[in-house]
Amino acid sequence: MLRPFEIHEPGTVEEASVLLAQFGFDAAIYAGGTELLLIMKEGLAHFPHLVNIKTIPGLDEIALSTEGDELQIGPLATHWELERSPTVKKHAPLFAEVESQVANTRVRAMGTIGGNLCFAEPHSDPATLLLAWGATLELSSADAQRQLPAADFTLGMFETARQPDEILTRIRLPLLSENTAGAYRKFSTHERPMATVAALLEVKDGMIEHARLAVGSVGPVPIRASEAEGLLRGQGAEEAAFSTAGELAASASDPIDDLHGSAEYKRHLVRVLTTQALEQAAKRAVGAVNEG
Amino acid sequence: MTAGIGHNVPRVDARSKVTGEALFTGDLKLAGLLHGKVLRSPYPHALIRRINTDRAALLPGVMTVLTSTDLQDIDPYYGHSIKDRPVLAIDRVRFVGEPLAAVAAQDEITAEQALSLIEVEYEDLPAATTLDEALSEAAPRLHETDTLRPGLFHGLGELHPQGNICYHHAISRGDLAEAFKQSEIIVEQEYTFPAVYQYAMEPHTVIAAWEGKSVTVWASCQHPYLVRAELADLFDMPVANVRIIVPFLGGGFGSKSYTKMEPITVGLARKAGRPVRIANRVDEAMVTTRRHNMRCWMRTGAQADGTLLARDVRFWMDTGAYADNGPRVVATAADAAPGPYRWKSFQIDAYCVYTNRPPAGSYRAFGATHLQWIGESQVDEIARQAGADPVEIRIRNLLRPGEEVRPGGKLLDADLVGDVQKIATALDWGSPKPPDTGRGIGVGLLAAGARPVSTAIVRMEIDGHATILVSSTEMGQGVRTVMSQLASQELALPIDHIKVPGGDTLITPYDRSTGASRSTTLAGMAVHRAAREIRHQLLEIASQAFEVAPGTIELRDGAAWHADQSLSYSELIQFHFGFTGGELIGRGEVSPGGGKGSYAEGPVFWEVCIGGAEVRLNRDTGRLHITRLVSVADVGQAVNPHLVEAQEMGASMQGLGNALFEEMVFDEGQILNGTLLDYHIPTTEDMPDQFISRLAENEDGPGPYGIKGAGEGALAGVPAAIVNALADIGVPVRELPITPERVWRALKDTEGERDDAWGPPSTP
Ligand SMILES: Cc1cc2nc3c(=O)[nH]c(=O)nc-3n(C[C@H](O)[C@H](O)[C@H](O)COP(=O)(O)OP(=O)(O)OC[C@H]3O[C@@H](n4cnc5c(N)ncnc54)[C@H](O)[C@@H]3O)c2cc1C
Repeated sequence: MLRPFEIHEPGTVEEASVLLAQFGFDAAIYAGGTELLLIMKEGLAHFPHLVNIKTIPGLDEIALSTEGDELQIGPLATHWELERSPTVKKHAPLFAEVESQVANTRVRAMGTIGGNLCFAEPHSDPATLLLAWGATLELSSADAQRQLPAADFTLGMFETARQPDEILTRIRLPLLSENTAGAYRKFSTHERPMATVAALLEVKDGMIEHARLAVGSVGPVPIRASEAEGLLRGQGAEEAAFSTAGELAASASDPIDDLHGSAEYKRHLVRVLTTQALEQAAKRAVGAVNEG
Repeated sequence: MTAGIGHNVPRVDARSKVTGEALFTGDLKLAGLLHGKVLRSPYPHALIRRINTDRAALLPGVMTVLTSTDLQDIDPYYGHSIKDRPVLAIDRVRFVGEPLAAVAAQDEITAEQALSLIEVEYEDLPAATTLDEALSEAAPRLHETDTLRPGLFHGLGELHPQGNICYHHAISRGDLAEAFKQSEIIVEQEYTFPAVYQYAMEPHTVIAAWEGKSVTVWASCQHPYLVRAELADLFDMPVANVRIIVPFLGGGFGSKSYTKMEPITVGLARKAGRPVRIANRVDEAMVTTRRHNMRCWMRTGAQADGTLLARDVRFWMDTGAYADNGPRVVATAADAAPGPYRWKSFQIDAYCVYTNRPPAGSYRAFGATHLQWIGESQVDEIARQAGADPVEIRIRNLLRPGEEVRPGGKLLDADLVGDVQKIATALDWGSPKPPDTGRGIGVGLLAAGARPVSTAIVRMEIDGHATILVSSTEMGQGVRTVMSQLASQELALPIDHIKVPGGDTLITPYDRSTGASRSTTLAGMAVHRAAREIRHQLLEIASQAFEVAPGTIELRDGAAWHADQSLSYSELIQFHFGFTGGELIGRGEVSPGGGKGSYAEGPVFWEVCIGGAEVRLNRDTGRLHITRLVSVADVGQAVNPHLVEAQEMGASMQGLGNALFEEMVFDEGQILNGTLLDYHIPTTEDMPDQFISRLAENEDGPGPYGIKGAGEGALAGVPAAIVNALADIGVPVRELPITPERVWRALKDTEGERDDAWGPPSTP
């Protein structure tokens, strides 16, 4: 049951950061509330102070950088908005595709990308994708700002590199090169995914120049499957050893037994999903090149 | 418009529900209402050394703290089938979640805070948290079995508890050994059925107001009269001093059968002297009642040509720490175990077992859901070994109307062969199947109707409008609409002139219960008879008014007609009383009569549990995709075909959940998936690509117009159909739910050795 709390409505990031610094562990940032209010209702956490950042203007913006080389996403953009945003659909269609598969309609309507990443719940679609994508996260406090690669942000289950007075203020996605294509696969039996795989392939003259592969949801944090990536480099996009890459990703992943399933089954799923994602990414990359 | 039976009348409560006008127990506001919260045991089995409530009682805003010591002036044990459950734990807790104290405070937060101030000293006891543990020699005993007393509505013969087995039920026929000796094909396996939660959108909610020598209870309960009897017994007062009012229910499915949170709420209200409300949360509802998990061993024998000969079944159902309705579930499961076939011999041994888990009780199609998928998978296996078609083998062996289903009781009252043929047609049985696609059928019987005791009153007011007083609970199934239609038919009265308020034991007369698919058939019969009494009165009055014989009068559209003359019902009643006031009263009752119709003699009717499924298997992940689900509602005659179809769809979806993913996971008696985030219930996303429901209207039921009940059968039929569809692709199922991981494991196990045991994949 939700116990009483005080809600603060800062007008700027600085004010928010000051409030967070002031109340320390007694405060939490409140975005869509789809995770926060749930754990508070369950009595798993209690915060006497909630800092509602929805009163800060501009934090839900989705725009192309002035240089036109990256997509900049405000943390308050909801899954629903990201799935439908013409800007995202145009410049990062894979991201929109993944966002459309997050959770259910109700959670998508309220839940934000920032809340998803900062909560660091292990079963995350965006966290898996952003890792493969090489996104950068911008963290701001009252007197400082820093940029962190997505790979360095999630440290463990419900644990991030964010300091208590820091706010995630921007997610920066470099636009993919023209000859890069990606694909995403997830498998769920419950509300949240049991296994997630994101694959990005850069293909030149029919050869894989660069592969980026991330596996998520099976263990505490998403991981890069670098051995599989290395294996694919230099292989022909249409006849690459995708199933071997799937094997490598499976053995690189560190699944745990839980309510979703056994580690053994999850490892199997990683193999299947990786192979499927790579095959589709290759098809898309080759198709893009052929069309282009 | 008169809208009698057979019409797709819109639900009479639809508008009030979508506009939010419809009131549920949780919507009610009472002056001075207190909010109750329950302290629940964190241990599966422990002695309570000490409870100290002093600090809780001193918290500002707390009015009352209740423990078992406050109930020493009454006999604090209750239980539908066995009086084994104390209102609040006495000296000992037996499951994680067992209530041992309760608080009433001015608001919910204060009440919850007070719970954390109650100090309890436990002494851990060895626990039996699984069937295996509970049945082992060294198992700790849940109850001193020699002190177990039958509940008020036991009706199941003598109790012979032994160890943790609180009830044993056996039925048999013929010479089993001989029949198996003649069997050329014998299939034998062990099976597991999980604990399942009967999710209803509205968890149990109760308000109780103690008024000195009487008590009024607003409860989200399915069976107000059974709750009334148990409360009167517990608190030692005449039944008439207990008034149960039942607003709309947000779903029941058996989770609100019998007495649940009412005793604690009444206990709190009695001590507080103010009305108290308890509203369970979902996690609390999950430890209030659930479906029995089960272990089963079954053996079936047949001739080489697939003629069924013998079946031997033993199963153990985990009823948790208190019996609740477990013995009845076990007996009904035993009735379902043989399946609807013509056996030379069968023997069923069914056991109800106490464990240190939350109590298990009723859930839509109980017993049949547990056993049918097992029996039907053995029939299909025999068909495979005999080289026979599953439809054909069923038609050959199915009972025909009038044949004995089990020793004693009702003979078969349904056309099962016709039902199976309808399913086969809807599944395009025999047509080529796409790769990795299988089809399956499951057919069975459920002993339905519970006890045939129902009464009803119809009042026709001076303006010609009618009010139906009947205690059937509207829990989403549409019973108020159905009762309106039955009365509309008999009274020739427009449906919007008919009102069906909710059950209120002070006003609406006795009805045994709302469950076991009985309301349309039994309470419906009582309403039909009550309406018919009014019909006779109207004809009588009209014959006086027109000065003609009653036989020359027709009732139509709320008026009596003689040739082209008419008098409205209102005019007739005014004529009768010679005044602008007065009313006609009709009463109807249903009783077993002649001593027949007891549980042992029953059932009121055999509900057909039938389903068909077409599934596609993803061999990479083990995931099943349901491409088609079909059901047949064998209802005698449909009062409202749309409502029947909605019932079929609802039951099928729950059947799909039971088959594919629903399972309460326990670890040492603690639920691991006690929220809806972790416990997956079927949603729209789980719907099959195609759902087809067919009606069988043979007017062969015991209700008015040959009606029989509906709404449960598909829940048992669908899992059986899905299991058989999967076996059709070569994947055997021994354990529900059929999660992708389990299918994947089965695929791994059968890979390379898809041998005679499970036959080749049948994909053409
Ligand atoms: C039923 C359900 C199903 C789900 N299914 C999926 C799924 O399939 N795939 C998936 O990826 N996710 C899934 N999720 C997670 C979902 O994406 C998140 O709940 C949602 O995005 C969280 O956003 P929010 O705005 O509601 O966060 P909140 O609940 O408001 O906040 C979550 C946490 O993040 C912190 N926080 C929020 N914003 C910031 C910020 N800008 N800076 C710093 N800290 C911040 C908060 O303090 C809090 O600790 C599911 C969740 C639910 C409840």
